[in-house]
Amino acid sequence: MLPLANILARKIRTTISVLAVGVGVALFLVLIGLTGMLREIADRTVRVQAHLMVWPASDQVVVSGGLPADKVERDLESVPGVECAIPVLRWPLKMADRVQNVYGIRPADWPAFASADQVVEGRPLEGGAEMVIDSRLASAGGYRVGQTVERWGRAFTIVGIAREGVAGRVFMPIDTVSEALQQTDRRASFFYVRVADPTRVAAVRDALRERGLNVFTMEEFYDVLASSFVDMDLVIGSVVFVAGLVCFLVILLTVYTMVVERTREIGILRGIGASRAQVFSLVMAEAGLIAALGIGVGYLLTWAARAAILDLQPLWTVQIPALRFLYAALLAAGGTFLGALLPALRAARQDPVESLRYE
Amino acid sequence: MMDWIVETRGLTKVYRTDGVATPALRGVDLAVRPGEFVAVMGPSGCGKSTLLYLLGLLDTPSEGRVLLAGVETRGLSDGGRTRLRRDHIGYVFQRFNLLPTVSAEENVALALKLRGRRVGGAAREMLAAVGLDDKRRRRPNALSVGEQQRVAIARALVTRPSLLLADEPTGNLDTGASDRVMDLVGRLHRETGQTIVLITHNNQVAQRAERLVRMRDGRLLAD
Repeated sequence: MLPLANILARKIRTTISVLAVGVGVALFLVLIGLTGMLREIADRTVRVQAHLMVWPASDQVVVSGGLPADKVERDLESVPGVECAIPVLRWPLKMADRVQNVYGIRPADWPAFASADQVVEGRPLEGGAEMVIDSRLASAGGYRVGQTVERWGRAFTIVGIAREGVAGRVFMPIDTVSEALQQTDRRASFFYVRVADPTRVAAVRDALRERGLNVFTMEEFYDVLASSFVDMDLVIGSVVFVAGLVCFLVILLTVYTMVVERTREIGILRGIGASRAQVFSLVMAEAGLIAALGIGVGYLLTWAARAAILDLQPLWTVQIPALRFLYAALLAAGGTFLGALLPALRAARQDPVESLRYE
Repeated sequence: MMDWIVETRGLTKVYRTDGVATPALRGVDLAVRPGEFVAVMGPSGCGKSTLLYLLGLLDTPSEGRVLLAGVETRGLSDGGRTRLRRDHIGYVFQRFNLLPTVSAEENVALALKLRGRRVGGAAREMLAAVGLDDKRRRRPNALSVGEQQRVAIARALVTRPSLLLADEPTGNLDTGASDRVMDLVGRLHRETGQTIVLITHNNQVAQRAERLVRMRDGRLLAD
């Protein structure tokens, strides 16, 4: 009762402190959420029903038309253990005001990318000037089945909308993309390769590498993408440090001011029977309440920021694992505990007589 | 039954600031029987408040001893002094010293809560005893200074202390409020046999006590 009454009695200071803790919590969570975008792209890329990814050794990125599709497909399928090779011609295309990577694929390969029930509206690709987009892009751009989209100087019809989560957000027949890009022969940016015996994936990978190609298992490719997360983790670590430091300093300043301001009250408490431990607990409880309110406000700010980001950038992903909410709370609680510790000890050690004489 | 509720022997207190020693008490011997109402009078700076702080175990003497309820307090830790203070002492400070953020009832209840005791209706009953039942939900700033001091008395007495220490309880009150507070103190003493040591520089207030102790320059002059 007393800790609550005390923090409510200083509304402005309490509000500022709660907001400071809340902003720290929200900053941490939103940043974590935004890194989810990278993970989501990596997840989508490797979720294709295949075991290996193959592209020219010279390519650093998998957006090109560097491989003669038919020849490489034949070469790949001639390697013992390879069940089939799936060519992908990946090319940038602007949709919903954002650059998307179109996945040019053979309509017959569609099952490797999405099962039939993942097409939630319309139908899979059949051929010609058509495209299938995922539900996220459809929602962000307001696209619907049957709509015609003008790109690369020609009209494409959206024939289906697939549930999001597999590879790209836009799929077109590979021949159509080649044609639209005025390529003289069918080209591929990279290949997905399915291995006949999943226990021999490493052996097949090694055999393909001997042919001078860049080959990764899906897990390895995910790790390559994930290596970019390491830098992100450093950024997150820095933000965690700054958020924790802000929390610590705000609480330190708030609680220290509170203790100095209430020197006389602490004397009264000692006079009417409070022990040092009780005075310490009282100060820590007030700081704890501020932290608890700050954590709650931080969660609300996170929710609001996430909603605002998705409203402004519908194709962004803000994924915050549940455990991170706990980490954020622990971060705020830790900062608060450390920040309140010294002032609370000072309060507990105050001489009651000096406190009662304090003006 | 013990002879003395509180007893001091050769009580000396010297404050040191920047190497300068300022004696506040010089060998005070005082003993208070259970049920006594003692007024300590003297001019400002004579050591009255220091004596009260030492009797209430809020401070430690430079020399001499304090025995509270028969317990030798010399050498006790802060925790030990706090426990003894909780068990035996009720304090009324000069400037009311209520906690401003909680109601009158919470102020009174706090004294019980700090001792880990169940509050129940005790706080309300004590406020009723000092005539403030109808104002129990008010915060101190919504009470008159006289009412605030009555709340402070209720807070000091709700724990049923062996000894009530009052540091100029009427010092900030006008005559009317001062009379009402002293009527209340007198009545509580008569009805419950509460032991009281009261500090004042007001003759009229001091005359309400059964025993008058005069102080000057840190010494007891007359008893």
